Amino acid sequence: MKRPFLGVVIFTLCVILAIVGIGELVTRVSGEGGRRPAVALISADITVEAGEAIFWGKGKCSICHAVGSRGAAIRGPDQGASGPLGLPIGARAAERAKERAEATGKTFTPTDYLVESVTDPGAYVVKGFKNEMPDPTRPPISLTPGDLQAVVLYLQGLGGRPDLAAIRLPERLLAIAKGAAPATEEWSPYISGDAKKGEALFFDADSNAACGKCHAVGDRGGKVGPDLTQVAGTWGPKFIVESILDPSKEIASGYESVLIVTKEGRYVSGVVKKEDASIIEVVDNRTKIQRISKAQIQRRSPQKVSLMPGNFGEILTMEEFHDLLAYVLTLR
Amino acid sequence: MAATGSGATPAGETGGPAYRSAFGASSRVVVWVVAELHLMFGAFVLGVPIFASIVEVVGWRTGERRYDDLAHEFTRLLSAAFSTTAAFGGLLAFVLFGLYPRFMAVLAGIFHETFYVYAMLFFAEGFTLYLYYYGWERMQGRWKGLHVGLGILLNVWGTLLMLLANAWASYMMSPTGIDTETLRFVGTTWQAVANPLWIPLSIHRILGNIAFGGFIVGAYAAVKFLGARSEADRAHYDWMGHVGNLVGLSALILLPFAGYYLGREVYSASAVMGNNMMGGAFSWTFIIQAALIGILFIGGNYYLWSGMGRIEGAERYQPYVKYINVVLLLCFAVWLTPRNIPLTGEEQMALGGQFHPLLKYLGLMSAKNAAVNFIILSTFFSFLLYRRGNKGQPRPFAEQGRGGLVALVVVAAVAIGVLAWYGSSLLALDPKSLDLTPAQAHYFRPPAYLLFAQVGMVLLTAFLTIRDRGKLAQALFFASTVLASVFFLGVYGFVIMQKANPFLRNVAVAQWLMVMVCLLWSMTIDVVVFRGADTVGSIRWGKMTVRSQFALVLLCVTIVMLMGLMGFIRSGLREDWHIYGVLQDTSPWAWTPTNAYMTKVVGSIVVVFLGLIAFIFWLAGLGERKQEDGNPA
Repeated sequence: MKRPFLGVVIFTLCVILAIVGIGELVTRVSGEGGRRPAVALISADITVEAGEAIFWGKGKCSICHAVGSRGAAIRGPDQGASGPLGLPIGARAAERAKERAEATGKTFTPTDYLVESVTDPGAYVVKGFKNEMPDPTRPPISLTPGDLQAVVLYLQGLGGRPDLAAIRLPERLLAIAKGAAPATEEWSPYISGDAKKGEALFFDADSNAACGKCHAVGDRGGKVGPDLTQVAGTWGPKFIVESILDPSKEIASGYESVLIVTKEGRYVSGVVKKEDASIIEVVDNRTKIQRISKAQIQRRSPQKVSLMPGNFGEILTMEEFHDLLAYVLTLR
Repeated sequence: MAATGSGATPAGETGGPAYRSAFGASSRVVVWVVAELHLMFGAFVLGVPIFASIVEVVGWRTGERRYDDLAHEFTRLLSAAFSTTAAFGGLLAFVLFGLYPRFMAVLAGIFHETFYVYAMLFFAEGFTLYLYYYGWERMQGRWKGLHVGLGILLNVWGTLLMLLANAWASYMMSPTGIDTETLRFVGTTWQAVANPLWIPLSIHRILGNIAFGGFIVGAYAAVKFLGARSEADRAHYDWMGHVGNLVGLSALILLPFAGYYLGREVYSASAVMGNNMMGGAFSWTFIIQAALIGILFIGGNYYLWSGMGRIEGAERYQPYVKYINVVLLLCFAVWLTPRNIPLTGEEQMALGGQFHPLLKYLGLMSAKNAAVNFIILSTFFSFLLYRRGNKGQPRPFAEQGRGGLVALVVVAAVAIGVLAWYGSSLLALDPKSLDLTPAQAHYFRPPAYLLFAQVGMVLLTAFLTIRDRGKLAQALFFASTVLASVFFLGVYGFVIMQKANPFLRNVAVAQWLMVMVCLLWSMTIDVVVFRGADTVGSIRWGKMTVRSQFALVLLCVTIVMLMGLMGFIRSGLREDWHIYGVLQDTSPWAWTPTNAYMTKVVGSIVVVFLGLIAFIFWLAGLGERKQEDGNPA
């Protein structure tokens, strides 16, 4: 190896080693912990120890909160004795509970205050700090009700006595714990569509949607499907989205389709619009009315599939779908 | 690649194992090493063509053949580097699909259409590269324009390739088109591509690649310079190092702003991620990053100052260098100052609290913004002194012809337009858009008025330049920019942090625009004033110290380490998520490494990368020698 090149190699290695040395030094000064447990490794038991592990790990609380001399975060109040009021959180919660009771007119125990701080961080913000704490029940933190109880237990223990029996989680979280409600807020579209364009799509018989061929809004539109004049006032956005993308999932009463097989071997599928002792009128999926003599019917069976096409998820573009949804959501 | 075991995690949605291990090794480290090497080679094959194109255009327009030769010399390296990049890209795909099958199934489900486009672009880039390289001699003379066009096309393909890859990486940090209830992807491919961090990340990477390309060229030149046996070779490689350093520094000057923009958008995309970046596990990594950037700026400036030794007449400006050095060191001290560090109870008692009474201010964003702007202005000032080294008295403006006047008017119009536009925007800013009250709107005025004052300064200095007071004009404009951007807005930033914090980002933009306009306007005046001016001495190419060449090597090693470190931060910010908030990493390797661990892994990667690059350079040198001997390969 030539001498100058050897010099460059040695110099390069020295520079790299120096930077590695800086990394070592920083790790020692900062007291980084190294291996942080993954979510799956954290205990699901509701204990002070589990709460502490969540506070300093999965819950990411320590990114913004220090506890006395442990941690150095300053974005949120210190939970130790060097925090607000000169008391650790487990002790100052009593004072805060009084403030909350006065402000809301409701009964607040110190633990209620701690629960509120964790589950609804924006409800009360300590003076001098910003309302920027994310909801820890939502991704990417996604604490479970059990995790939250453990964290509150840990906070109680910082200057107070841990008491699991005193922890009352909000109803929505209790429902999640029992599996009775989804862990999410009400659904809302994530793209804001253009209601005007949606209206045009709705009534344009040549568009991919052409809902007006079957559905009426006020005086406009067909009468094959349910009237949608006030649909958004009756149903939530999530149900409406489902009804568009998966119309057979829940069919409105009176709009179930039937399959009729005549003695001549003809198959007619549609919604029954009129029926008397001798005649039945069925509207098919092309909005044509078919009159069939009851004497001609060989078999009549109710269908689980809606007459409405189930392929709107494929034939509408993302923008068209959200424009259409924006219009339907105005129908109150 | 053979895989063993199926990891400790349950099967994913694909029905197969969620994770595999390659021969018992940590899959995360395997992917980390391969991805980083691919990225570094990618940066090389994207950065060097940008460098080559710039240099070729300079050679084409000035008629200096040496620029053309330099561009050609580096394009020769690209063929081997291109195939190495492709090989690492293929290996990366294999290890990702093999070791992280569940994650890759999800990613492929969203992005598979872009994979085909990526492959097509890769073909296009490959064919254009070979046409560009092998057509070099044929497309001289009247075909030179076409050849330059090919070089630009090569960069277009490369940039598009990088944009696509950036879309995947940025989507993992800020996913879009997700149903918040089911966490399933329900959006379009374009929605996924155009996620909030796509453009900020791409801007940062483009500038990073240019700086990377420039400093690699500089190191190559340094090694060749040190081994050169003739004066002619030394002169050639000295000049090459000068060009590489210049290109690298030019991009480096813009990088802090691109980084600020990216960081801001990370915070906007996820406050949890943003807090983790600046106040959590990665805040200490940013201390190391600041140290490395400090090495780059000080090293780049040191090279410029050393270079003044080979310019006759530059000794007139040497006394100023020590002041620039002091400014740079002070600014880096500010940049390195953390807001707080963990203290024991006794230490806190000794200090009188968690924060140092004075240093706590230097740890705030406003101080760091001011410091970065001052560093950039100082570096640019160094460059101006270097550029002016052997220049005599400026040429009278009247002798510059119409070209000088047109350049001055056009650039002044651009500068005024930019400053006035942002000043007006600040005055028209709706406080509600920043969650501020109407009573707080008066805090918007001082930066706006300063921008308008800078408009006045552009007009005044344009007038002075026309009246043959160009040097005075430059000094005045520099002084007003430093006063306004660094000192006034630097201090005003503290007021804003206290009284109207969300407006701080607008203050930072105002500072940045003032500095950018200063660079553009001062450079224009310099070119106009000194075009065709007498010289007081010559540039003695090749008369450089050995130390200066090691400075070039230092710049190269540092930027490669920095690239690895930034990759760690970007990827690590997701913590235990493959796709942030959507697809969790439940593998046994889902833990954030310490900085010590990170620097060891990145350091090893850098050794391998530089070794491979040296090998490629050696290969290219073999061909060169054979051609010199008259025995073409």
